[in-house]
Amino acid sequence: MQIHKYDTVIVGAGGAGMRAAIESTKRSRTAVLTKLYPTRSHTGAAQGGMAAALANVEEDNWEWHTFDTIKGGDYLVDQDAAEILAKEAIDSVLDLEKMGLPFNRTPEGRIDQRRFGGHSRNHGEAPVRRSCYASDRTGHMILQTLYQNCVKEGVEFFNEFYVLDLLLQEDPETGVRKSAGVVAYELATGEIHVFQAKAIIFASGGTGKFFKVTSNAHTLTGDGQAAAYRRGLPLEDMEFFQFHPTGIWRMGILLTEGARGEGGILRNKDGERFMEKYAPVMKDLASRDVVSRSIYTEIREGRGCGPEGDHVYLDLTHLPPEQLDAKLPDITEFARTYLGIEPYTDPIPIQPTAHYAMGGIPTNVRGEVLADNTTVVPGLYAAGEVACVSVHGANRLGTNSLLDINVFGKRSGIAAAEYSAKNDYVDLPENPAQLVVDQVERLRNSTGGERVATLRLELQECMDANVMVFRTEQTIKTAVDKIAELRKRYLDVSIQDKGKRFNTDLLEAIELGNLLDLAEVMATSALARKESRGGHYREDYPNRDDVNFMRHTMAYREVADDGTESIRLDYKPVVQTRYQPMERKY
Amino acid sequence: MSTESTSAIGEVEGVEPPRRYDADHPAPVIEPPRKRTGKTPKGSGTNFEMYAWLFMRLSGIVLVVLVIGHLLIQLVLDGGVSKIGFAFVAGRWASPFWQVWDLTMLWLAMLHGANGLRTVINDYAERDNTRFWLKMLLYTATVFTVLLGTLVIFTFDPNIR
Amino acid sequence: MATPTLEKSGKAPEPEAGFADSPYITATFRIRRFNPEVSEDAQWQDFQISIDPKERVLDALHKIKWEVDGTLTFRRSCAHGICGSDAMRINGKNRLACKTLIKDLSPEKPITVEAIKGLTVLKDLVVDMDPFFQAYRDVMPFLITKGNEPTRERLQSAEDRERFDDTTKCILCAACTSSCPVFWNDGQYFGPAAIVNAHRFIFDSRDEGGEQRLEILNDRDGVWRCRTTFNCTDACPRGIEVTKAIQEVKRALITRRF
Repeated sequence: MQIHKYDTVIVGAGGAGMRAAIESTKRSRTAVLTKLYPTRSHTGAAQGGMAAALANVEEDNWEWHTFDTIKGGDYLVDQDAAEILAKEAIDSVLDLEKMGLPFNRTPEGRIDQRRFGGHSRNHGEAPVRRSCYASDRTGHMILQTLYQNCVKEGVEFFNEFYVLDLLLQEDPETGVRKSAGVVAYELATGEIHVFQAKAIIFASGGTGKFFKVTSNAHTLTGDGQAAAYRRGLPLEDMEFFQFHPTGIWRMGILLTEGARGEGGILRNKDGERFMEKYAPVMKDLASRDVVSRSIYTEIREGRGCGPEGDHVYLDLTHLPPEQLDAKLPDITEFARTYLGIEPYTDPIPIQPTAHYAMGGIPTNVRGEVLADNTTVVPGLYAAGEVACVSVHGANRLGTNSLLDINVFGKRSGIAAAEYSAKNDYVDLPENPAQLVVDQVERLRNSTGGERVATLRLELQECMDANVMVFRTEQTIKTAVDKIAELRKRYLDVSIQDKGKRFNTDLLEAIELGNLLDLAEVMATSALARKESRGGHYREDYPNRDDVNFMRHTMAYREVADDGTESIRLDYKPVVQTRYQPMERKY
Repeated sequence: MSTESTSAIGEVEGVEPPRRYDADHPAPVIEPPRKRTGKTPKGSGTNFEMYAWLFMRLSGIVLVVLVIGHLLIQLVLDGGVSKIGFAFVAGRWASPFWQVWDLTMLWLAMLHGANGLRTVINDYAERDNTRFWLKMLLYTATVFTVLLGTLVIFTFDPNIR
Repeated sequence: MATPTLEKSGKAPEPEAGFADSPYITATFRIRRFNPEVSEDAQWQDFQISIDPKERVLDALHKIKWEVDGTLTFRRSCAHGICGSDAMRINGKNRLACKTLIKDLSPEKPITVEAIKGLTVLKDLVVDMDPFFQAYRDVMPFLITKGNEPTRERLQSAEDRERFDDTTKCILCAACTSSCPVFWNDGQYFGPAAIVNAHRFIFDSRDEGGEQRLEILNDRDGVWRCRTTFNCTDACPRGIEVTKAIQEVKRALITRRF
């Protein structure tokens, strides 16, 4: 076991992690621990753009953006945070441009903007061009630009270091728990490293891999959320998961909303533009939860396409090929590569795909992690998809996640570095790596009969079937029971690779453990929320219930004296400033 | 019978080979030649490689003319190979035109070929030492040939017996 | 019923819905295995699996890892060709396993899969990427500007933006660099990927560090070692015209001097 000491440690090198690293490296000695090489992060898969009210192509202002974000999140958004997000969006886009990001340009040479779902002029009057984009690989360009600037700033990366545990120490005087460090497993050698740090930022990304049809990478297994949760920190709003309307049928690969922003149309088997029925104003550009539900409604009412009637079409055939080549080259290539379809002439089969976790580790607007509704954990920060500020509420608007990672990545990077400049190290607990050593040894030596892949597939199929776009009390209960069964069977999991070098077999087993924990939290939170709001739609409670549920879910892991684990749910009020909840129509 | 001898019996498919290596004592990894590291020296800052590259292209074009012309004269025109003799060479080198032709061809061809071989050595010789000595050999041979050829062209005596 | 996928979840995964008759074929994957914890030699190992030919090579590798041999080791993440983790040599050609469909590989013959060449093999299909990223870092792959920053964005015409569009697509998967014969024999050569990323800035109208980058690429290990074999252009999973980019850097170097 090796012990390293840094002022600031950042876990994860996606957009949020690297944005934080650029700030914190300038101010403090920083290490970035990442389980993938930084440029492999899933920020790179984002396509459509990054919203900011630059008003480069038409009238716009950040206050409209704030409203759209709050309305898009079905009023579960903390409005102070949404204001910050929309206001600082403008500077964070300009920051990226100055770092070298090659945005598409207007004829005047300014950053070009296009329409995107849920973004509107003057509080919902009409779609507005707000999304700044670089072709249909904006996320890729953001990831590359941030990595380039990390190289420029000389950020210290620990590549393929997998963080498995968060070390918290109680202050003997005040009783407040402070962050002391993290424990990481080095994939290349199997060695365990303890990183002691004054400030820690979690930026480890999402947890979409508990669904089968998902746009998420294989590596998005909620490692950060699970580590915090296991150490007694709450997880906020985990029942809210976004299903992106246009994933490639059965594969889940994302086809950007920008395709509809450029004029693409969703059609059912009769060729009908069905979104006109569900969202007369915004049509195909209504917010994602609305479009996903509409697609499934079409499918369930027998208007789906294909022999099984299990998908609908994204029609781009009326757009000129030059426009597709210039604005959407990647997604047209996906259609050609994976489906053998020519998007110039044929519509693309799509279905909703699990896309984004709105919930996560609760933080305030400085990125500080909350230990309960009000107390912060000194020295612990979170940003990006792993965190829940909450700017996305019950449903995230398209292009707001690239914004989130930049705005709150920067904020938490600065806040963490400032904290580590003013504070001293917290002593490490005795045997800091014990939990991780035990976990790794148990899996490596286990002789049980269960296999990781089998359990994972059962989990994914259960989640797809029971807690996806439509949920009921009964389906969620089915899922809760199934997850409990899988968690029990997980104790019997064994792996074939017993080695130390690049033991990805072991890694997948650990990741499955994280997924199971988080799936349980998600299902339990969903069961308790007896209303429909944003990404959480209960068929047995189809309406929003602002009286009882205008509040954030906070899920805590409780361990009884006899060792049995349970989830305790608590609630946190929503911060409301100017916008009173209204009915949500597009 | 010792345990070593049993485990050393020939490998059967599906049976583990004798374990000389394990998780704590891994075998050396398979490395490619000459890795780039943070210590890889930065270059000399000269334009030599660019001029060498340009020289290859330009000399190539000139050589196409010179060599084809040379081949035509030597092998095809005026009765072909059979005409070549001491007198033929002596006659040609009496003219400064042909002297310059052959001299240019000699220099360009030798430098062109030597530079080509230099890049081949740079590409394929793995150790610094090997590379250095191969190049020394190449340069010596080139200088020797070029000088000797030049000497012959300029000091050729048609009356030699 | 929760979602329309509910009914199908109970079924065996074999003949998947949507394809009338069983699309499965039996394919042999011949994989170059190397595990320093077991042996100092690399060897080929055959795996026979039943799989839908419309699936990706990555799906096949997963099937092998998850159902047959958990020790098979490879990198992967996004599974749709944007993260660049899974560049490997498939049937002798560098490709991304997640962008290569089995049906395009004539699966009636064994499909060979091995690690990319020219980088240290650490285990099975995993190679040491550090030398590759070192070359990338050495070309100063970031925007260099002089003077004060403008308050708003820097202006750039759509044509100027288009000038370097092709090379912004790079995902640093190393398929190009590890397909280059010069790089195989001399890892000190910057390699196509590093040059592509230098190109992306040299031809960016906002950048003012082009001169420094050109100087770096003018050296012994720079662009002049390119033999224009076009292996890199063939290998690029993003369709970047890599060799053309290298030639453009050469041209910039020559026109700078003359």
